[in-house]
Amino acid sequence: MRSIAVALAVARKDLTSEWRTRELVPALAQFIVLALVIANFGFQIDSHNAPAIAPGVLWMALVFAGLVAFGRAFASEREQSSLEAMLMTPASPAAIFAGKALAAALLLVLCEAVLLPALALFFGVPLSFDVVSAVLLATVGMAVLGCLFAAMVARVRARELLLPLLTLPLWIPFIVFGGQAVQVAMGGSGGTGNTSGLLIDLDILFVVLTSLTARFVLDD
Amino acid sequence: MSVIVAASLTQRFGSDLGLDAVDVDVDAGEHLAVLGDNGAGKTTLLRILATAARPTSGSLEIFGLNATIERRRLRAVIGFVAHAPGLYPALSARENLEFYCTLQGVDRTRVAEVLEMVGLAELAGRPADKLSRGAQQRLAIGRAVLHDPKLLVLDEPDASLDSGGADLLARVMKGRTVVIATHDHALANRLCQRTLMLRHGRVVGIPTRLRVVH
Repeated sequence: MRSIAVALAVARKDLTSEWRTRELVPALAQFIVLALVIANFGFQIDSHNAPAIAPGVLWMALVFAGLVAFGRAFASEREQSSLEAMLMTPASPAAIFAGKALAAALLLVLCEAVLLPALALFFGVPLSFDVVSAVLLATVGMAVLGCLFAAMVARVRARELLLPLLTLPLWIPFIVFGGQAVQVAMGGSGGTGNTSGLLIDLDILFVVLTSLTARFVLDD
Repeated sequence: MSVIVAASLTQRFGSDLGLDAVDVDVDAGEHLAVLGDNGAGKTTLLRILATAARPTSGSLEIFGLNATIERRRLRAVIGFVAHAPGLYPALSARENLEFYCTLQGVDRTRVAEVLEMVGLAELAGRPADKLSRGAQQRLAIGRAVLHDPKLLVLDEPDASLDSGGADLLARVMKGRTVVIATHDHALANRLCQRTLMLRHGRVVGIPTRLRVVH
């Protein structure tokens, strides 16, 4: 119970700080809209190819927005020297990590609330429950992995370079299965398997793995 | 009874030697001042004693526990003020402390008491980044004593404090075992019973007893 209270307190602290400073979400939302505008001009979009192109654009925008969001989650703590103060308490490092990941995931969900309607608007693709659920399921796994590597590289000078190098290879399954799920939901051709089930399996796997390793990453 | 028993603490940073076989022994209730020039190894020693860093070699027991293994248990009884205040700039002074109450497992009613103790009761609602550097340092000291620790490790806590800073430090140090790093010999003389002088990571001479405390 105490770990849950710690995780929720950390998440609430991060969300309150973001709400008051508005550092991250407005910038990410602008980035997402700009990426969609550029993709809209870059591709010759019509009603035939939109279901094939839109999922790719969605995941590209989401991946880059995620890298920024998760990178900031720990970089700001290091800059303020506040991560050490948190770790100097008897609170479990896994709970602290869970709180950071939860807040970063919720911030990314806010960005997705801009991304999905904008995608439907620019590309004329349907925005269904299946699309939203695939994106949300992928967000869980991407958030825990992104935060784990962000914590790992936060103390390194070249963290902006290292974070994508470490994170992107492990995000590929989410992009593959999430992409397939979104493509099918948008009326394009794609995998016929149970991609949502696979995304849930991946979420469980990575949530468990990152919970076990967070302690070693945070409290060296 | 010894609270801290450190033997041959050595810390290497690559080829540089931050601490060289330092022995420290601090009794319960004793206040030890660690003195030395910049780069002498004061911060390195204090970070190890606060369990924020692991020594390259040597042994460290705090309250009879192996400090390199039992770090989380010990952190419940250690209060640490580091060089940087490490506050959340967008949160108010009160919110900063309330957040740490949850992490420390301390009741939130303690916040008002601590804000009063460090002289920030009137600034409790002000965001941390709108506080002066001295007030931020007071808040960091308040955070360190929030859980009423038995051992306080203070790394140059007087660096940004105003003239009332010494009184504040005397208040928070009372009844606790304290290791404090400072450049201010007068402050060390006022607040501590013993000093430990470091130079180039080594203890210089023998720890000096400043005065007898009854």
